[in-house]
Amino acid sequence: MQTTRKWYKAFWLLAIVCLLTGCWDREELEDKAYVIGLGLDRSQHEGKIIVTMLLANPEVGSMQGGGGSTEKPREIISFNANDFIAAKGTANAIISRKISYDLLKIIVVSEDFAKEKDFIAMISDVLKDKEIRLNSYLAVSKEKAKVYFKKNHPKMETRPHKYFQYMVEHGVDNGLIPDSTLFRFFTAYERGTDLFLAMNTSAEVGKNPNVKGEDEYQAGQVGATGELDDTQFIGAAVFKKGVMIGKLTGQETRIVNILDDTTNIKDVLIDIPDPFSGEKKQFAARIMKTEDNKVKMNLKGLKPEIFITVPVKIEIMSNPSMVDYTKKKNQQILKKQISKHIKKVNDDLFKKSQTQLKGVPFPLALYARKYFGTIPEYKKFNWDKSFLNADIKVNSDIEIVDFGKTTKKH
Amino acid sequence: MSQQSGKLGIREYVSIAILMVGMKPTGDLPTALYSMVQGAGWMIPLISAGIFFIPLFLLVKTMMLYQNQNLFSIIQKLLGKYIGSIVCLIIFIISSSIISIDTRTYTNIIRTFYFTTTPNVIIYSILMLVCAYGAKKGIQHIGSAAYLVVYYAVLSLTIALILSFQDSNIQGIFPFWGPGKLEILKSASKNLYIFLDFFLFAMLIPYFQSTKDFRKGTWVAYICVCIQISAAVLVFISLFDTSLSGIGYPFHIEIRYISLGSYLPNVEIFFFVIWIMGAFIRFTAFLYINVQMFCHIFKIKDYEYLIPALATLYLLIGSISETPFDVSLIIKPIITNIVGPSFTLISIILWLTAWLKGEFKHANNKEMV
Repeated sequence: MQTTRKWYKAFWLLAIVCLLTGCWDREELEDKAYVIGLGLDRSQHEGKIIVTMLLANPEVGSMQGGGGSTEKPREIISFNANDFIAAKGTANAIISRKISYDLLKIIVVSEDFAKEKDFIAMISDVLKDKEIRLNSYLAVSKEKAKVYFKKNHPKMETRPHKYFQYMVEHGVDNGLIPDSTLFRFFTAYERGTDLFLAMNTSAEVGKNPNVKGEDEYQAGQVGATGELDDTQFIGAAVFKKGVMIGKLTGQETRIVNILDDTTNIKDVLIDIPDPFSGEKKQFAARIMKTEDNKVKMNLKGLKPEIFITVPVKIEIMSNPSMVDYTKKKNQQILKKQISKHIKKVNDDLFKKSQTQLKGVPFPLALYARKYFGTIPEYKKFNWDKSFLNADIKVNSDIEIVDFGKTTKKH
Repeated sequence: MSQQSGKLGIREYVSIAILMVGMKPTGDLPTALYSMVQGAGWMIPLISAGIFFIPLFLLVKTMMLYQNQNLFSIIQKLLGKYIGSIVCLIIFIISSSIISIDTRTYTNIIRTFYFTTTPNVIIYSILMLVCAYGAKKGIQHIGSAAYLVVYYAVLSLTIALILSFQDSNIQGIFPFWGPGKLEILKSASKNLYIFLDFFLFAMLIPYFQSTKDFRKGTWVAYICVCIQISAAVLVFISLFDTSLSGIGYPFHIEIRYISLGSYLPNVEIFFFVIWIMGAFIRFTAFLYINVQMFCHIFKIKDYEYLIPALATLYLLIGSISETPFDVSLIIKPIITNIVGPSFTLISIILWLTAWLKGEFKHANNKEMV
């Protein structure tokens, strides 16, 4: 009797296991094609878009050491569609597996499509889709997104999901591109008080790239030669209320990233005009930001006043004029120079944002909110207009933590 | 520890309360609060708790007069057989409609985010099936299960909130007073329903080891829960800012957004599993309380046979509305607006009757003797 009961129970336990597979949402890994990159372009046909899908082959690179398959790591398809949601179905006419946006990393939009008014309506489908995560990135490419994905041929990192993940992560760490997740795009759009920066990318290098300062490039302007892939991630595209209105260089993007406390910059290397050589040479420095900015505002008067103090820690990395940094006097000069430089670049940026862009490229309006008791008062203040004639002063709180390995001149 | 069999201890009670009330911000509560008062949404749970404290205090005081009697028997004792029964019936209908709406909301969440192609009915039936099975096991089992899950539930909620904090901006809660102080007070009084479960817990008094445990547990849980809800809403507001008004279920958007470094980018499944366990226990306890009410009103002794029937009934009521929008935007506000005032009124009437009848004096006299 005891044993029969035992067998009886065991049988039911086993039977329950069958239920675990489910019926409707059963998914086979083998059966899915994961879209890593999605490209959006305006089509020649009225009201349609060109959807480009970059599909990763999960078999490539998944095996540790040797083995693996000889298949290509990726597949790219482009076609006309009404939107990128229903396009999943159309794509199945070409791709054998079920298309999934579950692992979508990056959405690349061509510049001319981003500048159109109905771009926001198209991209808002992201919020409706059940698979796309809001931590995917939004990027703007100089050329057509269709061309961009085709030209993008990483030499070392052939697995596309890893390529885009690392490329973007390190770009954000360096501060050269903004941390432009879809999440930030939609919060900025809903807020409506600040501009949104999307990373700028290009797989085509301009014909005669000018040699500029370390970071004053836009995507496609860095003149690199050698055995490499032409894709570049640098600078930002500026969106106002969901429409692209302009571009920022890598340097300007960096400044915005330093000003914006909601992004994490880690390791920013910059060049600062060297004070000991009459600003002819430049010395390299590493900027670290560990504390948040202090923002104070005086919004009562006719002309609003905004004071921003940026606390930065600086590591001096080079010494082009061979000065003795151990002397207190030289240290003072250095500090003054850095402070002057930071003030200048920030002033330039705010001037540009007040006159050209007509908006602030990071959520500065958030800091203004606490000066108002209620929402009606804040609305009456009208940030959009008040910002344009605000008096903005940026100061820096500099601490030089390191002068490099050597103590003497060299 | 001397644990009587079949009885609820204080820790089991607190766990049930935290799972039933404290997990509300993982549904559509933050969105509802944000669309009412914007950035000041985090204040609402605290202020509502302050307002609801008065009726709850009176209720607990009245309940303490009678040892081991549940809410309905006291209502019938104080208000007479006929009026009492009508009041009990009203409470039963309100709480039945709430359980139907809430289970439907949870089904919508599961379907929208996790099982996208499974029909709603199947998810709903499985949810109700599990709850019915749990409720049949009895309140002691529900209590133990709640105690097992509550740590994981609170911990996972906390981790999810902490992980999202690095992407959020606390400035989002300003302007401090939202649409104005008066408006906040108004919305707070409309949101008393957040804490209505505490009112219903009075149904469980006969299952407590002692009635004092009920009093103590209620206050402990009440404080925990109002801090928990307020903190969660605060984090959601500072994370989503103005876009919160357009997001249906912020918790689930959030757990899809956060990541544990680049090595573990998509972690929502950890949070989902714990969340759904909490949800099962929440509705199991809720179903059990409803069954108790029904049994009391219609004088049924064997409650076990009633559970599947009531579960099916709630499933059918919950399936009436066609789309998720109907549920959370049209039906829910109506119910929530009724619940707060009516339950407050019932508590106050109960206390007044007890006071006018001189029950408090009797109790004092008894103690003196």
